Amino acid sequence: MRGDGLYFVEGALPETPTGGAQAEAWQTTRVVGTRQPRIDAYERVSGTAVYPSDVVLPDMLYGAILRCPHPHAKVKKVDLASARSVPGVRAVLAGDSPEADLRWYYTRQVFTRLFDATCRFEGEAVAAVAAETPQQARDALRAIRVEYEVLPFVVEEGRALASDAPKIAEGGNRVGEPEVYTRGDVAKGFSEADTVVERTYRTAAEIHSPMELHGCVARWDGPKLTIWETTQGVYPVQQRVASLLDIPLSRVRVIGHYMGGGFGSKLSADKYHLVAAVLARLTARPVKLFLSREETFRCVGNRPPATMRLKAGVKKDGTLTALEMDVVGASGGYPAGGASLVDWLVRDLYLCPNVKCTSTDVLTTTGPARAFRAPGHPQGAWALEQLVDELATAIGMDPVALRVKNVPALSQGRDDLPYSTTGLKQCLEEGARAFGWEEARRRAPGRGPWKRGVGMAAGTWVAGAGGPPSTVIVKLGADGSANLNMGASDIGTGTKTVMAMVVAEELGVPLDRIHVEHADTGTTQYATASGGSKTVPTESPATRAAALEVKRQVLDLAAEELKLPVAELRLQDGVVTSLKDPALKKPLAELGGLRRRGVVVGVGTRAPNPEDLATCPFAAQFCEVEVNERTGEVRVLRFLAAQDSGRVMNRLTYDNQVIGGITMGIGLALTEARVLDGAQTGRLVSGNFHDYKLPTMLDVPADITSLPVELPDHRANSTGAKGLGEPVTIPTAAAVANAVFAATGVRVTDSPISPARLLPLLAAARKEG
Amino acid sequence: MLPAFSYVRPTTLGEAIRLAGRKGAHIHAGGTDLLGCLRDQVLGAETLVSITGLSELRGIAPARDGGLRLGALTTIAEVAADPTIRGRYAGLAEAASQVASPQLRNQGTLGGNLCQKPRCWYYRGDFHCLRKGGEMCFAAEGESQGHAIFGGDRCFAVHPSDTAPVLAALGATVRIAGAAGTRTIPVEQLLVPAGTNPQRETVLEPGEILTEVVLPPPAAGLRSSYRKVRARAVWDFALVGVALALRLEGGVARQVRVFLSGVAAVPWRHPGIEAALTGKPLDASIIAAASVAAAKGAEPLGKNAYKVELLRGLMTEELERLARG
Repeated sequence: MRGDGLYFVEGALPETPTGGAQAEAWQTTRVVGTRQPRIDAYERVSGTAVYPSDVVLPDMLYGAILRCPHPHAKVKKVDLASARSVPGVRAVLAGDSPEADLRWYYTRQVFTRLFDATCRFEGEAVAAVAAETPQQARDALRAIRVEYEVLPFVVEEGRALASDAPKIAEGGNRVGEPEVYTRGDVAKGFSEADTVVERTYRTAAEIHSPMELHGCVARWDGPKLTIWETTQGVYPVQQRVASLLDIPLSRVRVIGHYMGGGFGSKLSADKYHLVAAVLARLTARPVKLFLSREETFRCVGNRPPATMRLKAGVKKDGTLTALEMDVVGASGGYPAGGASLVDWLVRDLYLCPNVKCTSTDVLTTTGPARAFRAPGHPQGAWALEQLVDELATAIGMDPVALRVKNVPALSQGRDDLPYSTTGLKQCLEEGARAFGWEEARRRAPGRGPWKRGVGMAAGTWVAGAGGPPSTVIVKLGADGSANLNMGASDIGTGTKTVMAMVVAEELGVPLDRIHVEHADTGTTQYATASGGSKTVPTESPATRAAALEVKRQVLDLAAEELKLPVAELRLQDGVVTSLKDPALKKPLAELGGLRRRGVVVGVGTRAPNPEDLATCPFAAQFCEVEVNERTGEVRVLRFLAAQDSGRVMNRLTYDNQVIGGITMGIGLALTEARVLDGAQTGRLVSGNFHDYKLPTMLDVPADITSLPVELPDHRANSTGAKGLGEPVTIPTAAAVANAVFAATGVRVTDSPISPARLLPLLAAARKEG
Repeated sequence: MLPAFSYVRPTTLGEAIRLAGRKGAHIHAGGTDLLGCLRDQVLGAETLVSITGLSELRGIAPARDGGLRLGALTTIAEVAADPTIRGRYAGLAEAASQVASPQLRNQGTLGGNLCQKPRCWYYRGDFHCLRKGGEMCFAAEGESQGHAIFGGDRCFAVHPSDTAPVLAALGATVRIAGAAGTRTIPVEQLLVPAGTNPQRETVLEPGEILTEVVLPPPAAGLRSSYRKVRARAVWDFALVGVALALRLEGGVARQVRVFLSGVAAVPWRHPGIEAALTGKPLDASIIAAASVAAAKGAEPLGKNAYKVELLRGLMTEELERLARG
């Protein structure tokens, strides 16, 4: 599907070797679906887990990057002389250093140099140093003298299209032609409507803000480069680094292991990888290069801002007749999908015969966008789900009922491809019931300044099916313990634990006897980046196939030793038992054949998805808020998320994802915004955790209910899991906005709903009222 | 990253005063603001004079006149939890409990809370603004969401302290020790308005150390309160805060003192509100009048007119709360 482009940015993927036939779906499970603490929980909470930022190597140097302080400038001259004489400095690089004369691309649409003479955003790399200590490296950066020709900037997506806006690229600020999607005839659809509503919405840019900063350690052993990297995908990093340094893939080893969050900003290699590798080669010493928090606010991606005009027509009975959306999104300094997928919900979420979406991606002098937890979708939901709410009010229909009436049976955005399963209706209905939606809606908002209201919103996610390629290896040792070897990163979602549970399910090996090796291009197998909510649906069938391959071999060995036909044997709880005579059994550790071989190895691959089905997660979320009409304060009192993500693999990490997604969505709704000094300098002003307001524990309700709508999806893949991590944050912000409307009668079209935004609207409403 | 500096930790106040008088010296107490300023290059320091070894600057004790003495090194958490303060100067306990986050309240000191630097994003950022010796205030024509609506004059940064406005409302004084001896001034006079000097936050001279905050004995019927509205529920500075101190005498407000936070370079005393309340019962019409008076004299910038609305709303809330007792 279309959304995959955001995660597989390097183009064509390698094929997975064909495995055996896909296993039958589980009818019952013993381990999968239970609540299991993470297998690495102790390491994570005790601080013994080694993250890339913890890596310290003998003789290691520290790298740092000098960044352009202007949103748009030409580098005229870089004087490195005084930086070279700073104590402890071992290497200095800039655009004219022969070692740094490398190609670079943010996306393959535009190629530049590693240190390009043109800087299209504040924070672009201009020069770099390696020194004995981080402090010396920073001192050296300060000693570098750069002469810039400061160019005019444009930071707002709407402004970028004005005829007098400064040109960022020679061809203008539009990234290609607008993407137009149509089905049916919207003019006809609007003429058939009883009510037509039109509004313009905007979501502010958000910064990913993972706990672990972006960075790596690079070391050369002769011709071989090893990179320890905090990444969502060791293979994409390997691929880009090898290609841009022009060295064979076989000589680039990327080790991920633990990583402290990415949310889409760590899907591939960054300039800092190349800089660290070049500095390490130049000095013949390992180089550690981690960005500062301030750098990560500027140059490692963002959820791009979007301006969305949306028009919808509805009949009195709730039939949607037409949807029309215009999106302007900002890629930033280089093409980066600034408007990508914002219109997907308009295309696919509700039954509607007439749809037209026009998406315009523009360049602005800001950091290039990156995939950010459900790229485009929370923005699109902010517009669509508020407008659907408004339609419901206009025709006097319950917002849940209006949505239920328009649940599609087929994926209209994919030319009516059937879904493998669709739980949208159940999410809406079961969610509403569990939340107490109808009673809550009937309650009066309250008489004091604090007004209560409930709101809801729905969503789907364009990806979340997973798919090839993936190869996983399971090894069963002579003592009945198991190793699981997979290339995928565990980005904090509990991937390792879920995969170990799959092995435990098939082989009966207890979780504490399973060890997972992962995210290392040197020792684990090819996997795509962990993103797109596809890691569990991709890796769990491959893991299951590997475990089943082990099981087949074990049963063969046991059949030989027990002198029974294989078909009569079952492996359960680490014991091979005869179905006919339960007295005939053999624990794994007593299998002579296993002892003699030392290990049984099973290789599993991810089978292809069915071609005639769309596999997508669905969601409906409900919340109750309290708004102080005098001060504009908003408190979120409770949330309920009804999610259809197929089979629940681990209920504990499942609920973690729900809570995390809602937390992030509350940030979009209420507090987070990248603020740029648009009128004067074009520079970032909210570049720290005081001014960029992530929600805190107290901004998020303690009362969050996770309600899985667990539909068996036997056709999607052999574990029946669909993606979860992104769908959980898609409807959240819109649900909050709808609840604020219910509480106050005020529609907040621009995120975030801060007192600064809400108070003038409340005052205006009082004047009108 | 912190710049290089030397660190000294004297054991006597005299020694601290002598060291703090040197060029490039800064006082270090809780460090929650200072280290951020150094890291962000808001200021440079050759020497940090840590006063954390001066145990005489810690703790809360009754004053001879029935008031209360709070050592400058008393932590914000201690102020928030102190039973005497909670009972007799409720507004101060409320303010302290709204400062930052639990971690920062455990580390930050009362003296430091009064002497902290503004949180203006231009001042803290890499902008050579007027307050840092530059030519202009970027907020005047720029992103002024968090900036002053009262008393802005060339610089529009606001003072971030929550305790300062309520201490000012309570008529507290601070003791300042220096080479020439000690002096005592009202909290109200500790901080410097933008119009007086936009490059200075306090009247402390080099080598002077704020040693103590002294609260006067509470007048009969004293009620005090503080509440701030912030962009998120915790770990945030005031968009607007209201500190009130007044006496209720048979339901009539006397000796009304109103200081606002988040709206000016200093805790902003609002005589208009005080006049609207003084000698009046705290009933709905008087509260409404005070709320109207609150907007008087406000001069919002391009992006902070909402603060006027917010101030009016918050003033109403706080007066209703005080009236309820």
